Order: sequence, then C-alpha cells, then structure tokens
Amino acid sequence: MIRFKNVSKTYQPNIVGVQNVNLHIRPGEFVSIVGQSGTGKTTLVKLLIAEERPTRGQIIVGGWDISGIKPSEVPLLRRQIGVVFQDFKLLPKKTVYENVAFALEVAGVNPRRIKAIVPQALKIVGLTDKTGRYPRQLSGGEQQRVVIARSLVHRPKIIVADEPTGNLDSLNTWEIIDLLKRINGFGTTVVLVTHNREVVNALNRRVITIDNGLIVSDQEEGKYML
Amino acid sequence: MKTATLFRVIRFGFQNFFRNFWLSAATVSVLTLTVISINTLLVLNVLGKIAVSTVEAKVDISAHFRSDVDEGRIQTAKVTLLGMQEVRDVEYVSPEDNLLRFREINGQDSDLVASLDEVGENPFGATLIIKARNTADYPAVLQALSQPLFTNLIEEQNFEDHETMVARLNAITSRLEIGLLVVTGAFVLIALMIIINAIRVSIYTHREEIGIMRLVGASNWFIRGPFYVEALIWTVLSVILTLILLYPLLLLVQPFLQRFFGTNSIDLVAFYLVNAPQVIGLQLIGIALMTLVTSKMATARYLRI
Repeated sequence: MIRFKNVSKTYQPNIVGVQNVNLHIRPGEFVSIVGQSGTGKTTLVKLLIAEERPTRGQIIVGGWDISGIKPSEVPLLRRQIGVVFQDFKLLPKKTVYENVAFALEVAGVNPRRIKAIVPQALKIVGLTDKTGRYPRQLSGGEQQRVVIARSLVHRPKIIVADEPTGNLDSLNTWEIIDLLKRINGFGTTVVLVTHNREVVNALNRRVITIDNGLIVSDQEEGKYML
Repeated sequence: MKTATLFRVIRFGFQNFFRNFWLSAATVSVLTLTVISINTLLVLNVLGKIAVSTVEAKVDISAHFRSDVDEGRIQTAKVTLLGMQEVRDVEYVSPEDNLLRFREINGQDSDLVASLDEVGENPFGATLIIKARNTADYPAVLQALSQPLFTNLIEEQNFEDHETMVARLNAITSRLEIGLLVVTGAFVLIALMIIINAIRVSIYTHREEIGIMRLVGASNWFIRGPFYVEALIWTVLSVILTLILLYPLLLLVQPFLQRFFGTNSIDLVAFYLVNAPQVIGLQLIGIALMTLVTSKMATARYLRI
C-alpha cells in the first residue's frame, strides 16, 4: 500500500528532515509512527500527502510513484488519503454537515451524492444528532470526529492521522483511537503519528520509531520505546 | 467541468466579493475610472474627427470668371477641373445667381445694391466653386488655376484657407488624446496594482479555507476559479457603472455639441446605442482580460499553485 525506498528529505540550507527511510506498510495495517518532536514524523506525513517532494528516493502509494508527482495530480492523491490533524482544520463558519460536505463539494461531487454520503460518514463517527452545530459549539473530541468524518467521505484506502489526540483530554483521546480502530476494521490502512506513549502501548500494533530523521526501530507488535 | 463544480466556483466567487465588500468597492471604483477615461478617449476621438471634417467641408476655392466669358468656356473649364484627381466637386454658379446672392447678402436697401441698380446690367460673371478631395490637394488645384488656360478667363479667385485651422484642430485633438492616453495608462496601472492587492487580501482572508480545500483534494482550478469569478464581477460592475454615469453626461453635453457642430453634429447617445455591441463588448473583453491576467498572476504568486 505504502512504500518508501531510500527516501531522504533535506531542507535548505542543510537541515535533515528524514534520512534514507525504507518502509513498507501493507493494506489494512494500523501503524503508529512515534518519535520526539522534530525527529521527522511530520515530514513523513508531508511526503506521504505530497505536500513535500523527497530530495532522494521513491515513494509509492497504491502502486503510484508519487516522488515526482505533478501539482495537477496532487488533488487526486489527496482524495485517496484521508488526513486528520491535531488542530482540526475545520471551517468555523460552516456547520458540521457543511464542513463534511465541503470535501465533496470541492471535488466536484454532485449534490445528490453529497446528500447520501455525508450522513453515512457522520453516522460512523456518531455525530448524526449534531449536524447543524458549528465547530465552536462542539468539544475537542467532537471536532476531531468531524475531521475524521470529512476524511472518510472520499472512501480513502489510507487515513493519516498526525497527532490527532494532541489537543484532547484522556476520555476524548480514547474515543478517537477507538474510532480509528473501527475504521481500520473496515479495511482502511491507518497511519497514526503520535508521541502518546499510553496510546501506542495500548494499541499493541506495529510501531515505527523515528529519531533524528532515521528509522531506529520497526516492530510488529511494538511499544513506545523512547 | 461538471455543472455542479462550475456553480460552486461561481458561488464561492460571489462569497469572496461580498466578504471583502469594501475592498471590492475600491477595486470597482478604480476600474470604473479606467473605463471612463477609455470612453472619454473614444468620445474625444469621434468629436475630433467631426470637428476636422466640419472645418474641412468649409474649405473651397471660388474662381470668379470675367463677365464677358461665355458659359461654354466656363463649362469646359469645369470639365477640365473635374478631370483632375485632386478635385472632388465643382459647382457652377451662374451670373444671375451671383447677382441674386449679392442682393441677399447686402440687402435690398443698401447703397451698393442701389448703385448696382443704376448701372442697369449684371456686372457679375459666373463662378466655379471647387472642392478638393483633401485639404492637402488645394495647392495642386491652385497650381492648375494659375495656368494660362484659366488666368485669361478668371477675374479673381478666393481660397478660403482653413488649412491652419485644420492643422491646429488636429494638433489640439492629438495632444488631448496623448494626455488622455497617459491618464488612462495611469488608471490601468493603478487598477492592476489594486487588483493584485485585492486578490492578495482575499487570499489572506481565505487562507484557512484554501488550506482545507487543498487538504481535501480540491483541484487547482477549483481554488483559483473563485478569484477569476470575483475579477469578472469587478469587470462587469465597472462597465455597468461607467454606462450609468456616462448616459446622463452624454445627454447633458448633446445640446452643446448640436450648437457647436450644427448639421455635422453627432448624437453621442445614439452613437453608443448603435455601436453598443462593439463599444461595450470590446470594453468588457478588454477589462476582463486585464483583470483575469492580473488575477492569474496574483493567484500564481500568492497561492503558489
């Protein structure tokens, strides 16, 4: 599903983002990428969603080599990868329903399909009773669930969650992790970037540890080691 | 592109316009000034041409023949003159008509007419009024009239020299045109800068939305489209505003033009109505091209897509 072959990313003047990364994430896997701040976790996410291009190496997503992806092809890639961020990135002047529908609107989906898909996504995240609310009227956990619903509407094969629980309390954190596990249960590959030791240890799934831009450990049923 | 997407791009364009209303108003104002100066240039051009042709129409040469020259020879002279490339028209005025004109001009009770009555016979010969094709052709006609064929027959010739006036009019209109071109150019430049700045502010205002659009897979066209729609709204509004401002102004100016140019005058309102598709269409296309190219530059620079 996702393959990094000798991938390095260097920022000007000479700052190493990631170095010689080799990894293979199979379809349907739930992988946690852990590491301390500034070690290259977010660079990996940016490379995966083509926000950055690798300085060296090859990145293949679903058989598609995105190492030299054209700007016009990036939207197509983004529709195949659902992205969840720590800071939610919701539009404050749009309701829950409109925020989720927005992802389909900008992709040119017709209104009838939008009306069919959005309620399904909101049902998965358990927000059917809050469709008319604005982000400010929701808790952090609920806002993150809206983001997850939005990332699901394109029925992506991969969900990348970059520190999705970073702004949440313990209760909401577990709600989001449970939701990600449920989505993974549908067959979607989940890449969770976190430095939450408790979450990683409780998941008991594959853990990739990054330090100074290098993969220092890759365990099938790993624990948080740093 | 799908119809649904097109409608969404248009909707977002209108949203952009209204969310930055005052910035949009400023942009439309400067664009309107630009369109007004373009129209002034156009009107001045039309009026300048009318003024020159009015003066040119008054230029002619009157060749007064001696009273003893018979009509046959004068008609031969007329045919000879009409044969010249430079001559457009030659009008024959008989001695009787000349006498009649003299009486009309001087009035029946004047001393001149009284002395004419005393003479008893018509002292006037026939006249040929010669009009050249262009004012520049008159020297050639005067040259021809100085040939012995004509000098022996002609008693006197008057050349109403309006050449200096035509040249002065041409100089004034071309100077005015240059001045207006400079003003229009300045407005175009200001408009370009304001458009770039307006789009920059608009992008800044929508940076969050644009970021999310990118994140969820909006195409570059979908992100740029609303800015183009906004630019088109500015264009259409500025042209409409110009027409609204221009119409009463033209109505106000029309009587003065009528008085100044007389029968040669042009009805500017009618001119605009008759030429509406070309005049309004060309301005719409021109301003739209300007705003769209500027929007493309601004979005390329500030959206980085």
